[in-house]
Amino acid sequence: MAAKIGVYLCSGCGIGEVLDPAGLLQVAEDDRRVALVRESDFFCGQDAGLIQGDVTDRVVDAVVLAACSPRFYVKVFDYGPGLPVVRVNLREQVAWCHESGSEDTQMLAEDALRMALARAGGSAVPEPFRLENPSRAILVVGGGLAGLTAALEAARAAYRVILVERENSLGGWLRNVYRCAPLRPPYAESAENPFHLLSREVESHPGIVVYRGASIERTAGGPGQFDVTVRQGERLLKERVGSIIVATGAGAYDPAKLTRLKNLAYGTSPNIIVSSKFEELALRGGGRVARPSDGREVRRAAFIQCAGSRDPEHLPYCSAACCVETLKQAQYLLEPDPDCTVFIYYRDLRANGQYEHFYKKVQEEGAVFIQGEVVHVADRGGSLSVEADDLSLGCRSRVEGLDLVVLATGMIPDVAGGGPEQGALKLDYRQGPELPALKYGFPDSHFICFPYETRRTGIYAAGSVREPMDLVTTLEDAAGAALKAIQCVEMTARGQAVHPRALDVSYPEFNMSRCTQCKRCTEECPFGAINEDAGSNPLPQITRCRRCGTCLGACPERIVSFKDYSVALISSMIKAIEVPDGDEEKLRVLVFACENDAYPALDLAGAAGLKYNAWVRIIPLRCLGSLNPVWIADAMSRGIDGVLLMGCRQGEDYQCHFINGSELARTRIMNVSETLDRMGLEAGRIKMVEVEIIDYTKIPAILDGFADELAALGPNPLKGF
Amino acid sequence: MRYSFYPGCSMEGTAVAYCKSLVAAAWALGLYLEVIPDWNCCGATVAPGLAGSYTSRVLAARNLALAASRGLDVLVGCSACYLALSGANRRFQEDALFRIRAKEALAEGGLRYDGNLRVRQVLEVIAHDVGLDKVRERVRQPLTGLYVAGYVGCQTVRAVPWSFDDPEKPQFLEKLIEALGAVAVPFPAKVHCCGGSRAAAAPGEALGYVKNILEAAESAGAALVITPCPMCQFNLEVNQLRINQTCGGSFNLPVLFFTQLICVAFGLAPAAGLKHCLVPPYRALSRFRP
Amino acid sequence: MKTLKGAGAAQPLLYDCGFAREIYALEGGAQLKRCMQCGVCAVSCPSRQEMDYTPRRLFSLIRAGRKEEVLDANTIWVCTSCCTCRVRCPRGIDILGLMHELQFYYLRSWFKVHSRASFQQAFWQELRERGRIGEAGVMLRCWLKEGGLTGAVLKSLEMKGTGLRLLRRGRLRLIPPKIEGLTGLNKIIDKALAQQGYAE
Repeated sequence: MAAKIGVYLCSGCGIGEVLDPAGLLQVAEDDRRVALVRESDFFCGQDAGLIQGDVTDRVVDAVVLAACSPRFYVKVFDYGPGLPVVRVNLREQVAWCHESGSEDTQMLAEDALRMALARAGGSAVPEPFRLENPSRAILVVGGGLAGLTAALEAARAAYRVILVERENSLGGWLRNVYRCAPLRPPYAESAENPFHLLSREVESHPGIVVYRGASIERTAGGPGQFDVTVRQGERLLKERVGSIIVATGAGAYDPAKLTRLKNLAYGTSPNIIVSSKFEELALRGGGRVARPSDGREVRRAAFIQCAGSRDPEHLPYCSAACCVETLKQAQYLLEPDPDCTVFIYYRDLRANGQYEHFYKKVQEEGAVFIQGEVVHVADRGGSLSVEADDLSLGCRSRVEGLDLVVLATGMIPDVAGGGPEQGALKLDYRQGPELPALKYGFPDSHFICFPYETRRTGIYAAGSVREPMDLVTTLEDAAGAALKAIQCVEMTARGQAVHPRALDVSYPEFNMSRCTQCKRCTEECPFGAINEDAGSNPLPQITRCRRCGTCLGACPERIVSFKDYSVALISSMIKAIEVPDGDEEKLRVLVFACENDAYPALDLAGAAGLKYNAWVRIIPLRCLGSLNPVWIADAMSRGIDGVLLMGCRQGEDYQCHFINGSELARTRIMNVSETLDRMGLEAGRIKMVEVEIIDYTKIPAILDGFADELAALGPNPLKGF
Repeated sequence: MRYSFYPGCSMEGTAVAYCKSLVAAAWALGLYLEVIPDWNCCGATVAPGLAGSYTSRVLAARNLALAASRGLDVLVGCSACYLALSGANRRFQEDALFRIRAKEALAEGGLRYDGNLRVRQVLEVIAHDVGLDKVRERVRQPLTGLYVAGYVGCQTVRAVPWSFDDPEKPQFLEKLIEALGAVAVPFPAKVHCCGGSRAAAAPGEALGYVKNILEAAESAGAALVITPCPMCQFNLEVNQLRINQTCGGSFNLPVLFFTQLICVAFGLAPAAGLKHCLVPPYRALSRFRP
Repeated sequence: MKTLKGAGAAQPLLYDCGFAREIYALEGGAQLKRCMQCGVCAVSCPSRQEMDYTPRRLFSLIRAGRKEEVLDANTIWVCTSCCTCRVRCPRGIDILGLMHELQFYYLRSWFKVHSRASFQQAFWQELRERGRIGEAGVMLRCWLKEGGLTGAVLKSLEMKGTGLRLLRRGRLRLIPPKIEGLTGLNKIIDKALAQQGYAE
C-alpha cells in the first residue's frame, strides 16, 4: 500500500483555464498519504523530469497525475513495474467537456482527485505469476495447408513444434486438389499445388515432430504448461507444450443434402456433379476433365455457385472460397481450349481481396458470368440445360447443350475431426472439452480485433476451421496464429497476460478460507480459466486468465481480488466521492465505464468539445463483467442518486473484449433491482447502456438523459444517513 | 518555349475566337506556337463510328506525322481534338501491333511517325510549363469582383485522366480564374455533359443538358461562363438562344473561351475576339476594358 | 428504358455466344469480356434516361447474343462521348470506344444507314472531300441526307436565325478550305480501311 503519494497537478491543455488549482491543492493536502504536490503546465514535456526525479529519489512510492486521460502518454509516465501511476482525467473528462470556472466543474475535478488518491492509496504492487518451468513448444493440430504453414512459421522462428495429423499422410484437403488458385502476386495465374513441397519441408525440419495417424486424447493444464496426450495407434504419448494452434480445417458440405434442392437436379444425372468431384476428375485426368457419363471431353460447362450456401435451409453463410475455386476450375477447361464455353452462374461473385485480379483474368479468358438464381437444371439425353432468373438481362434465360454442370458447394468446419464443438482437443476444462462456438460451429472469437483468439487462452484457431476462407487468407491466417502462439508462450513465461490486457502482470487471487463453493466464478469465467476440485472449490489456472475480473464481479463473498483492482478498492473510490445534501439540488451520478470502449468514447466526447452535466463521477472498470453488485449498494447508501453502467454491445455480434462481460453485468443488475426495491429505492436509479467507441457523439444525450430521469425521481432518500 | 500547334476545324469556324485569343494569350506567356502545316481533321468522336477506331486513329496520326520532324510538343486547344490526337499517340507509343500497321498506312500518304511526340492540352501546358505564378505576374487588368463560372466540360480532363487535374472534380480552371483576379463561383455542374456533338445531330435532344448547366451557373451568381472546349462553348451559347426562343427562357450568360478572359486580364482585349460572341459580354466586362 | 422482347414471357432467352465473339473481335472489343456488370457506367451516363438500354444492359445483351436488340437500340447513338463512364469504369474498359466501334459495326455490316447516323455520315463525307470540317457544310449535308432537298431547305430556314447570327459574328465559313494533301490523306484512310478488310 502506498504511503508516500506524489500528486502532480497539470494545468496545460486548457485545464488551468477551467479549474482553480487552489481547490485541488487543498484536496491533496487534506490527504495524509500525500507526501508532496507539484504543479506544472507541461509534465509530459519539459517538466517530465520532475516526476522521474521524485521517483528516483524515492520521495514518492505512488504517483497521482492529474492531467490528461490515462490513454495518452503511457510511455512518458511509466516509471517501471514497482511504481503505481494513477491518472486523474482532468483534460478529456473535466476541462474539455464542462463549463469553465463553474462550481460544479470544480467539485467534479476535486472528486476525481479524491477517487484517484483512494485508488493509489489502496493499490499494492502486482507481482507477476511465473511458472516454474514454462514450455515454449507449440502444438499444431491438423496437417493441412494452415497446419503445415503454421508449423513451419513457428519452427523457422526456432520454436519446437509438435504436429498431430489425423490421416496417415500430410496435406489435408489439398491432397485431392489438382491445382490451386493463385497464391502470390500478381494473383492472376493459378499455382501449382504446394502441399508436396510443404509436407516435405515439414517432415524434414529438425524442429518439428510429426505424429501422423494420430489424435488427441486429452489436453490439460494451460498456457505454458499444456499437458497433451496423443494417441497414435495403440501408443499413448505425452507432450508438454506452451500453446496450441488448431488447424483442423473444414470439410465439404454433404452433397447428399443437395438432393433436397430440386432446382439443381443433383443426383438425377451423372453429369451434374459437385465441385470436389470436378476437382477429382481434373486430378485424375491430369487437368483434362472427362464427362462422368461417357468419358467424353467437356466442351461446354456451367458452374452454379452457392449450391446449398447462403441458404437458411442449408449453409446460411458464404464459404468465401467457392467462387475462387470455380474460377480456377473454369480455367482447367478454358486454358487448354479457348473455344470451350464456360458459364458461371453466381449470386455475388466473391473473389475477395487480390483474387479480383484472378476474376478479371478468367473473364478475359472468356468465361461467361451470369448473375441470377438458377431455377431449373435438366438433362435430356446427355445434353444438359440451365434456366435462370437472369439479373443482368432482367428476364428468364437459358443455356443449352451443356456437357457438364458443376455445383459449387460450401464448407463446414472440421467435420471429420468432430468439429470444435465435439472437441478435437478434448480439453480437461471444467467448462467442457470443446472450444466454445459462437455460430455455425466456428469457434467464438472477438473476430474483428483478435481473430485468432479462441475462448480458451493459448489456443489459437487458424485456417478454415476458424472461418471459411480461401488459400491466400489461410496462409496469412496460419502465420498470424503462429505469431500469436509464440507471443503467448513468451508472455506466459514472463507472467504477463495475453490480449487484450497484454503485458498486465496483475492476476486474481482467491481468499479460499471464505469461499462458499457457490461455483459462480467457475461457471462465469468466459475463458474457462477456473477448474474445480471434487469439493467444488475453485482451482484458478492463472496462465489461462485474461484478467478481465469477471470472477471478482461474480463472487458474492468478495474473495477474489487483484493487487491493484478489488472490490474494496473500488468501494473506497466510491466512498471518496463527496455527496452534497439533498436540498442542495446537486445530483450525483456514478458511471461505471468499460475501459475498452466506453471510456475511450468518453474521452472522444471531451476531445470533440461535447458538453454534458457535471454531476457524473466516472470509474473505469476492466470489463463490466467485473462489476460487483456491492458497489451499487455502496453508491446508493452513500446517497448517490443513480448508477449508470456503460458497456459494450452484447448478443450475437457482441463487442465485449471479454466475450460476455456486459451480458453478465446486465444479469447482475437485474438481481440488484430487487434489493433496491427492498431498500425503498426505484429500479430506475440503475441503468445500463451499450456504447461503442464511435458512439461518442451520443455521450451527452446518454448522460444528460439519465440525469433528467434521476431529477424526475427526486433525490436519493438515503442522502445524509 | 515553342510548340507545334494543332488548331482543329472548329477554330477556323465557330471557335475562331478561341484561336485568336489562344495565340495572343500564349504569346503573352512566352509560348510560341507553330501551326502544323496542312493539318487535317482529327476525326473527333464522329469518325470512329463511321470508319472504325483504327482508321480514325490513323487519320489523326497524319497530323502527328506532319509535326514529327520538328519534335515539338503538340499543343491542342479543342478537347475533342485532344481526345483524338492523344488517343492515337498513346496507341503509337504503347501498342506495337498498332504501330506497325499504322506506319504502313501512313506510308501510303508518304508520311512517317514513330510516336516521338507528346500531345498536350493548353490548360495542362499552363499548369505544368507556365505555372499560375507567371499568369498572375502577367495580369495587367485584374478582374476584381468578376464572378465567373469555370465550365470544364468532359473531355478536357477525361481524355487523359489525371494528366493535370482530377477528371471528376477538376480544380485548375478555377485556380486560373482566381489567378486572373476574378472570383470562381462554386459550380458543381462544371463537368456535366453539354450534349456534345448530339447538339448538331439532334438539336432538340441536347437542350436539356445545356439548360441545367446554365441554370447552375446563373444560380451560382456567375456573370459569365468560361470554357476550354469549342463544342461546349458553341452548345452553351447557341442553345441558350434556342432555349430563350423555344422554351421561353431568359438566359443572358456570355460564354467565353478561357483564353479570351486571359486576354482581357492581360490587357489584350482587342486580341480577345469578343466581337465573335453571340451573347455579348461587354456589360459583364465593362469595368475591365481600357 | 426498353423491356426485352420475351422478358416475362414463357420463352426464356437463349444464350448464344456467336454474336459476342464477333464483337470481341472488333478493335478493342475484347475489353468487353472484363465487364462485371457493376453498373457504374449506367449511373454515370448523362444520357441514361434517353437510352433504350444502359451500357451495362447493352453489354449483357451482347454476351447473351441478342444481336437484334443490341443493334436496334438507340444506346450507341445517344452516347455523347463525355468519357465519364470510361473514367469511372473499375475494369478500365474504354466504353466510349466500344460505342463508336459498335456504330461502325452497325453501319458496316447491317443497314448501312441509320436515321441517327446522318450527321456522322455527313461529317465523314466532308472529311473525305476536304480534309477539314466546315460546320455549315456538314449541317447542310446532314439535312440533305435526312430530308432530301426540300427537307434541307426547310431545316435551313428553321435554323436561319442561328446561322445568320454566326455568319454576322464571323463564325461561319461558307466555303471552307481544302487541305493540300487531300489525296494523300485519302490514300492513308483507304489503306487503313483496307488493312481491316473494309473498303468504301
